[in-house]
Amino acid sequence: MVTAMFKNKADKLWYGFLAVAVILPFVPGVIGGSFFGHVATMILLYAAMAQSWNIISGYCGQTSFGHSVFFGIGAYGAALAVVNFNSLPWYGAPLGMLAAAVVSVIISYPCFKLKGHYFAIATFAIVEIFNRLFMIWDRVGGALGLDYPILPDGWKNFSWSETKNGYYLGALAIFVLVFSVVRWIEKNRMGYYLKAVRSGQETAESLGVNSTFVKLSAMALSASLAALCGAFFAQYNYRVDPPMVMSLDMSMKFVLITILGGLGTFWGPLLGALVLIPLQEYTRAYLSHLGAGVDLIIFGLIIIIVMIKQPLGIMGIIRYFTKRKTAKIEGDA
Amino acid sequence: MQLRKRSMIAVVLVLSLSLMICASAFAADKVIKIGALFPLTGPAAVSGQNCVNSVLAAADVINMKNPEINAPLAAQEGLLNGYKIEIVKADHQGKPDVAKSEAERLYNQEKVFAIIGCYNSSATKPASAVAERAKKIFMCGCSSSAALTERGYKYFFRHAPTDAIESDEFVEYVEYLNKEKKAGIKTLGLIYENTEFGKHAAEEAQRAAKKAGLKIVANVPFNNGATNLNSEVQTLKAANPDAVFGAALGGDYSLWVRTMKQVNWLPKIAINYCTGYQNPAVQKELAADGDYFMGGMGYSPALAKEFMPEAVKIEKKYYTPRSNQAFDSDSIQEAVMLLVLAQAIEKAGAVDTEKVAAILRTESFPSALSLSGSVKFNPDGQNANALSVITQIKNLDYNTVFPLKYKKADPVFPMTPWDKR
Repeated sequence: MVTAMFKNKADKLWYGFLAVAVILPFVPGVIGGSFFGHVATMILLYAAMAQSWNIISGYCGQTSFGHSVFFGIGAYGAALAVVNFNSLPWYGAPLGMLAAAVVSVIISYPCFKLKGHYFAIATFAIVEIFNRLFMIWDRVGGALGLDYPILPDGWKNFSWSETKNGYYLGALAIFVLVFSVVRWIEKNRMGYYLKAVRSGQETAESLGVNSTFVKLSAMALSASLAALCGAFFAQYNYRVDPPMVMSLDMSMKFVLITILGGLGTFWGPLLGALVLIPLQEYTRAYLSHLGAGVDLIIFGLIIIIVMIKQPLGIMGIIRYFTKRKTAKIEGDA
Repeated sequence: MQLRKRSMIAVVLVLSLSLMICASAFAADKVIKIGALFPLTGPAAVSGQNCVNSVLAAADVINMKNPEINAPLAAQEGLLNGYKIEIVKADHQGKPDVAKSEAERLYNQEKVFAIIGCYNSSATKPASAVAERAKKIFMCGCSSSAALTERGYKYFFRHAPTDAIESDEFVEYVEYLNKEKKAGIKTLGLIYENTEFGKHAAEEAQRAAKKAGLKIVANVPFNNGATNLNSEVQTLKAANPDAVFGAALGGDYSLWVRTMKQVNWLPKIAINYCTGYQNPAVQKELAADGDYFMGGMGYSPALAKEFMPEAVKIEKKYYTPRSNQAFDSDSIQEAVMLLVLAQAIEKAGAVDTEKVAAILRTESFPSALSLSGSVKFNPDGQNANALSVITQIKNLDYNTVFPLKYKKADPVFPMTPWDKR
């Protein structure tokens, strides 16, 4: 049974990573209230966000710049439950996921009629539309946003002030859920359908794949998982407003992390988040006092260098070295 | 030989590093770390840098002997018999989520005793929520959203007059003009950035206007960092209000003024909240186009000359060399908060959050950098002595026009049309 579980190298890596990630909060002083705890939580969250985007854009080939809308709907779901209805985020988060899935299908159905760059451009516009809508919608706080009251710490309110262990474990749970969904997709018929649509929609259709259904289900799944990440984001920051969650800036984070790590690959979003988030957080924390955005300049330069040297992202770099090593072994033999 | 040379260099480097670490460890015993959390990058970066420079100037007043400055703690070196203030700068980029995580880092990693910040009200909210949850002190200089002091927080203290106070003052001035100058101002237009700050300012303006019987004929929000305000200004022009209240920060303020010139329209008077109007750098950029606009201010070089002579000394000695300009109405309030906090620590006799917070909540503090001359916090953390005057700018000089006690010049009213300048 155990040997079946670890049947290949990727499985070993996955379960090994999970084992380390689960142990971390139980090692004293590692997560707790530390800045590392914040960075680790953000790595897991952003990796999950990027992976949710990877489903529709990486595996299915439909580049969406509109994922911050679904992320925002999830954030507002949790925040509305807590702030406006004095309820628990546990009720708001699933409702947000459902709303995001429904909205994504309504938006995507006409947009999927557009192909290539035109679909991407349409999703850009959707972010702006939702941003403006939420800015003037007083029921959801408008431009003022929604601020959380100070609630007792614990799982019930999903809120902690002294330690980040709870947030870290929450982010880890979301990370495991999203990555497991993608592992399942990769190994099942759905994964082949998605890849078939990415490679050539007409060809896939000629082989009997219902491309519209495949794309819509991938989008709904991707949007609901992004919304779950959004709900966590609102809980973590005690606040939500449109520029925080429904912005092109946030949409670009989904895209950037996945592309940096490796588009359409299982490990890409995690690798992208492992590089990008610590880089972003530590350069800001330790270089921002120099003023003039030195942290942002360094951050931008590193991204440019990686993308010029290896357009396939970090996964491309890893594959390059793995191939070289294999070639060397074969040569020696 | 080469190897020996390299080894020697390595040894020297390690020794120097160890010495530095030891020195900082010894110094740490007598240091009170204070976080300065402002937007050092992003659309409000210039104002954020000014705020940081202002806090650094206040730290110099406390840390160094300044016998020529007649302000609490200025004559002595440090506080609590030898403690020095160390400012730890942090950048929130104008983003609430970054402000929240930076506040956590400052308290948990940098071990700061208190944070001063955050300029943007939307960033001050989550950052001060971190402080309140951790029972740490948060000193807010110039964020003006009234909501900040309506949360019942125990560790949050704010110096600036709120939008509510300023709105009442603006409307009072309009009523004064109507009564004394037969101004005939009956309608009001509002233009504001669609943020925590702007939205609150507009809400307070509506409340105050309703009370005074002023009819609001245009209510125009815009997205901050806008590249074009043409349609917003055209909306104002179409409604043609007698007076306009504006809430536009930094670059948005100059864009608004320039767009009014472009469409060749002006109301009788335009009064601004704590915005780009108060920033001398923005006014310098606008030059004559900025003339005849008005705004609420807690500081101007002219006011300082007459009512705050010690502020002029501090500005000259510690602020202008850093910022290359005079204090502005926003940044100076951040310096006040550090000076007040230092006085509270000195009175508490210990670097103890509970004791210092109790003193902040109950006592009154002389303040050489405040127009009112003193600071006293209400139970909600709002400065009860917050004072703002209305000024009108001409040739880059801010002339006080209201209240009458501080009046230095007659207002140019109505505003001179663009084609007659």
